[in-house]
Amino acid sequence: MNRVNLLQNRALRALLIPRWPQLGVQLAALAGLGILIAVGLVGSPVGNRNLAIVVVWIAWWALLMLMLVPFFGRLWCSVCPIPLPGEWLQRGAVLGPTASSRGSSGEARAQPRRRGLRWPSRLRNLWLQNATFVGLALTSLAILTQPRTTAWVLIVLVGSAIVVSLVFERRSFCRFLCPVGGVIGLYSQGAPLEVRVVDRDLCTRHIEKTCYTGSDQGYGCPWQVFPATLRTNVSCGTCFECLRTCPYDNVAVNLRPFGEDLFLPGPRRLDETFKALVLLGSVVTYAAVMLGPWGELKAAAAAVGTTAWLVYAGTFLVVTLAIAPGLYWIATSVGRAFSRVRATSAQVLSAFTPALVPLGITAWGAFSVSFLLANLSYLWPALSDPFASGWNLLGAAGVGWSPYASGVAPALQLAILLVGLTWAGAHVRRIADELGGGLRLALPVLAFTLVPTLGLMWLLVG
Amino acid sequence: MNTSKEGRGTKSAGATAKMAKPLLLLSLAVATIGLAPLPIRVAPPSVRHVHLQARSYEYSPALVLVNRGDRVTIELESTDVVHGIFVDGYQLEVKAVPGQPAGLTFIADRPGTFRLRCSVTCGPLHPFMVGRLRVAPDGTFWRAIAMAILALLAGLYLGARTLSRHSSPRPTDTP
Amino acid sequence: MAPRRLSREPLARAAVGLALGLPLGLFLIWGAGQLGGAQLLRARTAEAGGWSPDALTARVGETLHLRLTSEDVLHGFAIGQSDQPAIEVPPGEIVDVELTFNRPGRYVFYCTRWCGPNHWRMRGTIEVEGEGATETPPLPAYVALGIDIDAPHPAAVAPSRRPSAERGAAVGVEIPARLLSRESNLGLSPVELWQALRAEPGTRDLADSQVWDLAAWAMRATVTDEMVAEGQTLFAENCAACHGRDGAGEAAAARPTPPATTASHAHSKEPVDFTDPQAMLGASPALLQGKILRGGMGTGMPYWGPIFTEDQMWALVSYLWNFQFEGWL
Repeated sequence: MNRVNLLQNRALRALLIPRWPQLGVQLAALAGLGILIAVGLVGSPVGNRNLAIVVVWIAWWALLMLMLVPFFGRLWCSVCPIPLPGEWLQRGAVLGPTASSRGSSGEARAQPRRRGLRWPSRLRNLWLQNATFVGLALTSLAILTQPRTTAWVLIVLVGSAIVVSLVFERRSFCRFLCPVGGVIGLYSQGAPLEVRVVDRDLCTRHIEKTCYTGSDQGYGCPWQVFPATLRTNVSCGTCFECLRTCPYDNVAVNLRPFGEDLFLPGPRRLDETFKALVLLGSVVTYAAVMLGPWGELKAAAAAVGTTAWLVYAGTFLVVTLAIAPGLYWIATSVGRAFSRVRATSAQVLSAFTPALVPLGITAWGAFSVSFLLANLSYLWPALSDPFASGWNLLGAAGVGWSPYASGVAPALQLAILLVGLTWAGAHVRRIADELGGGLRLALPVLAFTLVPTLGLMWLLVG
Repeated sequence: MNTSKEGRGTKSAGATAKMAKPLLLLSLAVATIGLAPLPIRVAPPSVRHVHLQARSYEYSPALVLVNRGDRVTIELESTDVVHGIFVDGYQLEVKAVPGQPAGLTFIADRPGTFRLRCSVTCGPLHPFMVGRLRVAPDGTFWRAIAMAILALLAGLYLGARTLSRHSSPRPTDTP
Repeated sequence: MAPRRLSREPLARAAVGLALGLPLGLFLIWGAGQLGGAQLLRARTAEAGGWSPDALTARVGETLHLRLTSEDVLHGFAIGQSDQPAIEVPPGEIVDVELTFNRPGRYVFYCTRWCGPNHWRMRGTIEVEGEGATETPPLPAYVALGIDIDAPHPAAVAPSRRPSAERGAAVGVEIPARLLSRESNLGLSPVELWQALRAEPGTRDLADSQVWDLAAWAMRATVTDEMVAEGQTLFAENCAACHGRDGAGEAAAARPTPPATTASHAHSKEPVDFTDPQAMLGASPALLQGKILRGGMGTGMPYWGPIFTEDQMWALVSYLWNFQFEGWL
């Protein structure tokens, strides 16, 4: 069996379909978010002693990159607290759609009270998310060392989610704006978890399409996808709403082999390709700034607003928006010319996107391992004394810094990078074969995949 | 639908069996590259004194080169605020106040490349203050490159043999 | 079915309230803790504002409870001219200190850890009021002796080799008691001491360099081993960052600092070279102590008066001759 429907398991079914368990986790996450914002604003201004910094940029980011995204795909999005206030305001309800059908007992009325505007079709892609990600990335060294800045970033995210929710329909913020959402979406294609319909014909025959329009059991797809046409995880937020609204129990939560979405035939959208390249460029630049030996580069990256930072920002933009895509374009063009495949340049460019996904996941994973293990020990004192006010909740306020597993961390990072390279190489070969280009098309693209990998190897373990 | 799923299942089960041998070979090759001693002669152990300057947020020199077996003394001089070094892999630590250099002496008995990390919060970017200690003979980076090429070859093999079978159009993909 | 589910929405809203109330509650508990009890004293580098607040008040005999925390790098806390050991203030941690003052007066607290180019500007005051006599500081020796510490003091003569206190002891010439008294020697520079010894009839047969050895020995004889040792420790902890461990004045912290951080405190002159006979042999102990006490000189030298005790400053001065004379330690 290639896929196992997890809903066949009674316990998982009881966990995923009713609203309460998910709401419970969401509320816990929301409480956590509130604490982090408060601590970020009034706690210690020392980054590595502030819970907001330590939890968000060490624990959460590493958890996301090493665990949630590679193994559970979009699962973070299903419990993410950031869009919740906006979503509740938009729906006029916290729990079920029936709250808005007060008075019209029994009648299925699942539409939000205010039907928001439809997100403009020109922007129904990843381009805006590319922009928000790059915008955040340019200032990231300041964000991830300054608790107040981190708190304000969280506030701005929650605030813009509220505004977008009130103006536009459903979860437009998550799908088209959230800087992290784009990253998770792209990389969740590699995860062994998906939400898909079981039988598409049944969906075609189902006239009401309650999975999109909603019913008294749940809301129409907040992520604005029609589950029956779902091909990849990119735009499915695994909110499990369609599990609740499908009257035929025709939606499955599947366990599948890793990276199944990457095998989908046909060209990809260029915004996805570009996203993958921006992420590759970013992780190499981050590693160079944070793990490289260049002190002035670090200082420049953190001094947002200064001339030095402008130079850094310019370099960052050139690397992520020009060099990474440029090298990739050169590689695919050389391969295309070399192998004389019939596909157009744009088709070849986008066709290799699946290979960039495992390359990117593992690059971010290896990078995350390096700072997670080196800095995780900051978590215990920060948890014990969140406001830096002399508390000792866990008795760990006095725990000093010490890097974990510093002897094996390099080998671990190397192994992760190698898995990514093998995985990416396999897809390059497969895609080249499918395009009819064979090795002549594959080799230049393989050479391209070596560039970020070798760069990271030098920065992380070399 | 069900039949097609089962069909794919058998195929991949067969493929897994077929993959066992190449995978074994691959792991053997990786182990060889990773662990084989380097045929490099290293100078006999000596006493080595390294003066390491620390300032926010870098070390100078950024790379400390020693040979295996050397008795290494790193003299850390902080030039602006209090800094320290923690030597990854060796688990050694020393702190230095400006004006009062501090020494760290050890026998470099583990070859390889190790990160030096600042161990005193020296400013907002403190967690990113790193340097390197390289104990020769060290082939870490070269081994990594060899493994990367091997990984790509393995990928090529996998892509041609196994994964292409996957790409037979899935029934659920047709709209 | 519907009414039952309807009744769950308020429950869900209550849960949301709970989720939002938890951080709010924690925040309020924190806020309540901020109100009473100890005085919070935040440490930041001088460039970022130094101590906050930098002026504290206390009453004689009453405990002043301070909660120290650093908001950037490692700082230290100490009260000038007191025996209390310095307290480390690591970033983000809370360090509680209780102070009691026996006498009224103005006390200076200062940072003891190198925390930035303007580390020594990181000071504050504690105004202690109440019963008791304020301690009047003794008149500085240089004032009592009428020495102008800003006047040039070149060495009129210089030794041909580094004088040695050890060799001086071995010369075997008796030095008159008036030239071995600490009080009278405070105002004498090594050159003046040498001239006085040269004029003694007992040194008529000695070479100039031997008289220099004698002068070194005479100076060494007026200070104790403990003083020199204490001076050495104080020098390493407080002075070496600028003056260098070897006294040559080229240490890292004295190098021109990036203008962005120190524009307002830029100093034009480098620290003096303690190994240069021209700079040192014309200076008397009282003059050197005066320079330590007052600081300034356009070099960024701190005002040590409120920090070091009289004894500590003399100990430092006694150690400084180590850069001129052999056999000193």
